[in-house]
Amino acid sequence: MIMKLKNWVVANPDLAFAILLSVCVYGYFAATNELFATQRTVYAIMERFAVLGLVGLALTLCIIAGEIDLSIGSNAALAAVITVRFTDSLGAPTALLIALIVSTSVGAIQGYFIAYLRIRAIVLTVGTLMLLRGVALFAAEEKTVMLTDFRVPDFISTKMLGYFSPASLLVIFMFIVVGLFMSYTRYGREIYAIGGARKEAVAAGVSLKRPMIIVFAISGLCAGLGGAIIGLRSGTAQALGLQYVLLAGTVAAFIGGVSILGGKGGVIGAAIGTLTVNFLNTGLVFNVTPAFMVQLYLGILLIVVIMFQTGSRVFDENQRRRQVLADTDRLALELQGRRNRLRSG
Amino acid sequence: MSHVLTQEKPNIVQRLVRDHSPLVIVLVLVFMAICIIGAATAPNFLTIFNFKTIIRDAAIVGIMAIGLTFVTLSGNFFLLSMKETAALSIIAFATCMAAGYGFPISFLVTMGIATAAGAIQGLLIGLGGNPIVVTLGAAGLFFGIGSWWSDNLVVSFRRPHGAEWLGTGSTFGLPNITIAFVIIAIVAEFVLRKTSFGRQVYLIGANRAAGRATGHENFAMAIKVCIIASICSAFVAVAFSAQVSSAHVNYFSSSFGSSGDMTIMVIATVMVGGNSIMGGYGSTLRSSLGAIFISTIDNMMVLHGFNSGPRVLAVGLMIVFSIMVFALVRRGSRAEE
Repeated sequence: MIMKLKNWVVANPDLAFAILLSVCVYGYFAATNELFATQRTVYAIMERFAVLGLVGLALTLCIIAGEIDLSIGSNAALAAVITVRFTDSLGAPTALLIALIVSTSVGAIQGYFIAYLRIRAIVLTVGTLMLLRGVALFAAEEKTVMLTDFRVPDFISTKMLGYFSPASLLVIFMFIVVGLFMSYTRYGREIYAIGGARKEAVAAGVSLKRPMIIVFAISGLCAGLGGAIIGLRSGTAQALGLQYVLLAGTVAAFIGGVSILGGKGGVIGAAIGTLTVNFLNTGLVFNVTPAFMVQLYLGILLIVVIMFQTGSRVFDENQRRRQVLADTDRLALELQGRRNRLRSG
Repeated sequence: MSHVLTQEKPNIVQRLVRDHSPLVIVLVLVFMAICIIGAATAPNFLTIFNFKTIIRDAAIVGIMAIGLTFVTLSGNFFLLSMKETAALSIIAFATCMAAGYGFPISFLVTMGIATAAGAIQGLLIGLGGNPIVVTLGAAGLFFGIGSWWSDNLVVSFRRPHGAEWLGTGSTFGLPNITIAFVIIAIVAEFVLRKTSFGRQVYLIGANRAAGRATGHENFAMAIKVCIIASICSAFVAVAFSAQVSSAHVNYFSSSFGSSGDMTIMVIATVMVGGNSIMGGYGSTLRSSLGAIFISTIDNMMVLHGFNSGPRVLAVGLMIVFSIMVFALVRRGSRAEE
């Protein structure tokens, strides 16, 4: 059993680190605050997980593909505005459907242009970040849109199975589907391929367009769903809101073990990373920390994680370089010795 | 004979048609037509007073964009922490002014803090951290420090104070902030073109491997360019604080101005100017012109009575448009990847 565990840790060091970190964070708050380890808190954490988990998942997929989607907050805000605005007149399911179609197609179009223009995603998504904010402002007519009928928010936060709500159950289902897609389908593996070794993958015949469109479409879908959930749950939506999700989602993705170089990480990591961020967030709220301090801690956490990752990468590279140099030296010595022997013998 | 001549010396229209795809040409023409029609129909657009307003509006974003251009040219993409650095600086400046230290000391303290902020980011980037992720984290950090320092309150200081000449003063009828913008633009352009530091920025941005082979590591360069960008942010913060005699961390957030997020506006300015985001191609002059261009469009839309939604939309369209056009124009050229 322990041997098995050790092998697993050796095989998945990033995931093991993420689990360890999340357990530590949870343990710290559970030990310092007796209210933390209760069923109600777990429910609250799962409610947060519903939104942040989706953003973390979206960013994880993008980073696996070697890109980063900066427009995620804008896309979520746009979906939130559309959902809230049309729920009163068309009913929640139709409004949700419209919002998800819009956000998914926005993502797919981004993916297409990134592949077609062969530019980096950060370049295009910085533009669409602003563009989508403009569209959202337009759709909301520069006001905060509100629901008048609060049956939908009530339904979304109904407690189910003790710990869950319809929203968080939907998100967990989404995680499972995306996880299976990434691990067991060809399209999912292509996303890993263009992230980890883009040139090699393209040379081997993987189209750049298809995985790029798929990954950004899923990212848009996740962002849209997250935005719609947050909008429906609170009953209001602002076109300029949801700017904070990018930082929180990025922290979650990096704790979950993605590499900025792409091709690494997975859906389980995304879930654990988001949970860690949620533990931290909820715990800090429990200890009456102002919101801006949460941002400060998240910033520090992100810098620490990214420096840890960069440091280990540089260390690995140096080790490898040293190994190559040592091998070359050894080979040279061997050749020298052989030549000397030939000459003398 | 004339046929041969035209082949040897094609006129400008033929050169454009030859070098660029029809799509790009049509897009640019449509865009220019919209601008000209807008300018011709907007009331009071073509007045000297309005022109001065445009340049003054461009100055705030323009100065930050000039700083960011150094980062972009050196191949370190962009800093997502421009507005947070400014927020931290504005709190530092206003706190010092409110404590009665006077302008010179407050200014130096602010610049010191900005230099430290830039150096930290530059250090992390230079060590191999991804600029986007590092500065995203740094943004949260700086904003948190600024909020914590000011208790999330407005810090105000009393008029008259020693910084009024920068905030509201004017020389020869031009606001001093506009003059500062012009001076900074000229100095930055001179530094990039004529000094060895400026040429190193281009070298490292265009070809990092060649830079390393000739002894120009990105480590030192990242620190230098991040400090430049941070100092430009801090300068804007000081000027802004001097103008309104107060400070709050949210002054540069989405409520600032009309067009959304300040950081994104600055990045938009750099991009609309046509600088290559991959580095090595572009200039601060382009960023300055980009700032004036965005400011002109914004001004035109204000005169036409548009709300903030369409204006943000227009800036967003401009960025996406310029990204696409420059990507299409540069396709196949060396600057592509």
